[in-house]
Amino acid sequence: MAEAEKVDEDIQDLRDRFLNSEFDEVTFEIDGERVAQYALACGETSPKFTDPGHDDFQAPPTFVSTLVGRRNMPSDFPDLGGMGMDAGKGVEWKAPVRAGETLTGRSHLHDIYTKTGRSGRMVFLVTRMELFDSSGTHVANADTRTVIREKIRA
Amino acid sequence: MPDTVSNIGEVEFGSELPSFAPDTSTDNTKRFGKYVGWDSPRFTDHEGARKEGLPGAIVPGVLSQGFLGAMIHRWAPDAEIIAIDTVFRAPVLADAPHTITGTVTDIDEDEGTVEIDITITNEAGENRVFGTATAKLPK
Repeated sequence: MAEAEKVDEDIQDLRDRFLNSEFDEVTFEIDGERVAQYALACGETSPKFTDPGHDDFQAPPTFVSTLVGRRNMPSDFPDLGGMGMDAGKGVEWKAPVRAGETLTGRSHLHDIYTKTGRSGRMVFLVTRMELFDSSGTHVANADTRTVIREKIRA
Repeated sequence: MPDTVSNIGEVEFGSELPSFAPDTSTDNTKRFGKYVGWDSPRFTDHEGARKEGLPGAIVPGVLSQGFLGAMIHRWAPDAEIIAIDTVFRAPVLADAPHTITGTVTDIDEDEGTVEIDITITNEAGENRVFGTATAKLPK
């Protein structure tokens, strides 16, 4: 988000309290069959992604979006009064994710911002899971963008 | 531009990637549900999805994002997708034809990277998912 952008006071308060504080850590065993079936369902054709026996077998970069933590929000994050919906996914790929690896995912709130439309204000929460392999190499970031359409208060 | 590219020198600014028809069938969402996750009626069964207030079964967002990545790999088999950001604007209905398109919007020959705008569109021409990707190609 651009620094010069005006931020609502309540959102700035949430940013100050919650951004960049880790709230979840979980491990994932990367299963080759799951990777291959994911790739086939997506329409990948390269054996690098679809054949667990391939010399360079690895997960398509978007695979990390399927790795889900125990929670997607800090336990003490306030109820904003509306239903959260999945507004998008982002991936930053840094190194191959391979079958048999154990990844550690650490999650934090990466951004909080708003957009205002005809139906009122929408709050966007970007949860980032940073993924590391067993040697500590940072292999990917997986972002989930949740939008909450606030209820109009009487 | 050819249907596939093998290096950054073959990529032309503004060119369109070959369009790709993703498999939105409930057979595919069931397979995805069985092996990957998102095994819920809202993704695998039209009747079950309607009971949840949806117009029918929908494709999981993570699968839609995967379709976009697959299109880039089909076009540039040696590409490494180093970033991809997708916006779920509206549901992608299962068992409905959709088309994925991509357009090259920037080329950095020094870095060997291309920026691509990507979109999933339904038969009515409505954009359901869109986003951008950065892919690194051999020089």
